[in-house]
Amino acid sequence: MKKLSLLFIPQSGNNYRASLLQPGFLGLFIAIYLLNQSLLKSITIIKPGILGYSSEITVEKVLSQTNQQRQNNNLPSLRFSSDLSQSARLKAEDMFANDYWAHNSPEGSSPWDFIKSTDYQYSVAGENLAKDFYDTPSMVKAWMHSPTHRDNIVHLKYKETGIAVVNGVLGGIKTTLVVQHFGTPLVATTGQPTAEEKQLNSLPLASSQVLSETQQDPVVSSPSISPVAISKTLGTIMFVIIIGALIIDGVVTLKNKTKRLAGSATGHIGFLLVILMLMLFTRQGSIF
Amino acid sequence: MLTKQIKQNPIEYLALLFILITGAVAFILCSYHPYWQRRIIYATSTAYFAWSLYHHHRRGDLDVSIIIEYLLFALFAIILVSSTLI
Repeated sequence: MKKLSLLFIPQSGNNYRASLLQPGFLGLFIAIYLLNQSLLKSITIIKPGILGYSSEITVEKVLSQTNQQRQNNNLPSLRFSSDLSQSARLKAEDMFANDYWAHNSPEGSSPWDFIKSTDYQYSVAGENLAKDFYDTPSMVKAWMHSPTHRDNIVHLKYKETGIAVVNGVLGGIKTTLVVQHFGTPLVATTGQPTAEEKQLNSLPLASSQVLSETQQDPVVSSPSISPVAISKTLGTIMFVIIIGALIIDGVVTLKNKTKRLAGSATGHIGFLLVILMLMLFTRQGSIF
Repeated sequence: MLTKQIKQNPIEYLALLFILITGAVAFILCSYHPYWQRRIIYATSTAYFAWSLYHHHRRGDLDVSIIIEYLLFALFAIILVSSTLI
């Protein structure tokens, strides 16, 4: 009990400063957290795919919500293109195979190379990328908040789109990559639409279809252990302990009118609370 | 405790409030862009550290132990938030 009180309550035994707030303990907190991060990193290297982010994103939802955004901007809906969908899938598979997350591959392949590889002849084309998102609305919202991604979604010149939602392991972490290709064919399509195109182009806007047959992947159905959730939990516990110690330390010091050399409790509490809020409300997902 | 410290140095705590609010708003505006969010956390923590140096220098109690304390708090914030950005 005495040891516990030394951790939180300033007294002669801890030089009138809660032990938890002394450099040694703060350093220990940082060391424990870094150890946890190293452990998580080791897992991604030794057993790739154990940690990851689960997702409920589907091609249908992405198409539907893209067209919903276009409709909101008084633009015609984009037609689903099997060729663009194929190029998007090739791009996603290439990112997993070569372990990168960018518009251009380390070998120098651009999005246009993937589109051309499917014999899709275009006058204009574009690409949006997303990873680690749990649901489609937050992903589309993130794209709409980014001027360059938004421009692709509500571009007047685009007539068609193709989407790939592919599961795999990137950087040792299991995740879902979403690649959306946009384009306008150089010449109007004269061939018969494929069954997939017929099905997807007949979907109502903002529909919530279940995962289509072509995307079902046994890898995603198993729930993943999110490394971010582990880090957030550990970080939150540490933040709460330190903020608690700061409050107790400040109140006792004020009550006892102790004169000592220490940092501003008000400053520390304000800073840590803001940082804690930012950490807790960080939204999952990344766009490129 | 909090109000007493703030009343003693209102301008300095207003400056701190400005640093924290600016950092938080910039962080939220850069949602889904971890690259920029990391840099905002570095900047906010550095600004907090700089604020502490000014604050304690004005109070006349700037000491190595205080510098280390603020440095560790800033480092703690940087490490924890950066690791949760994906």
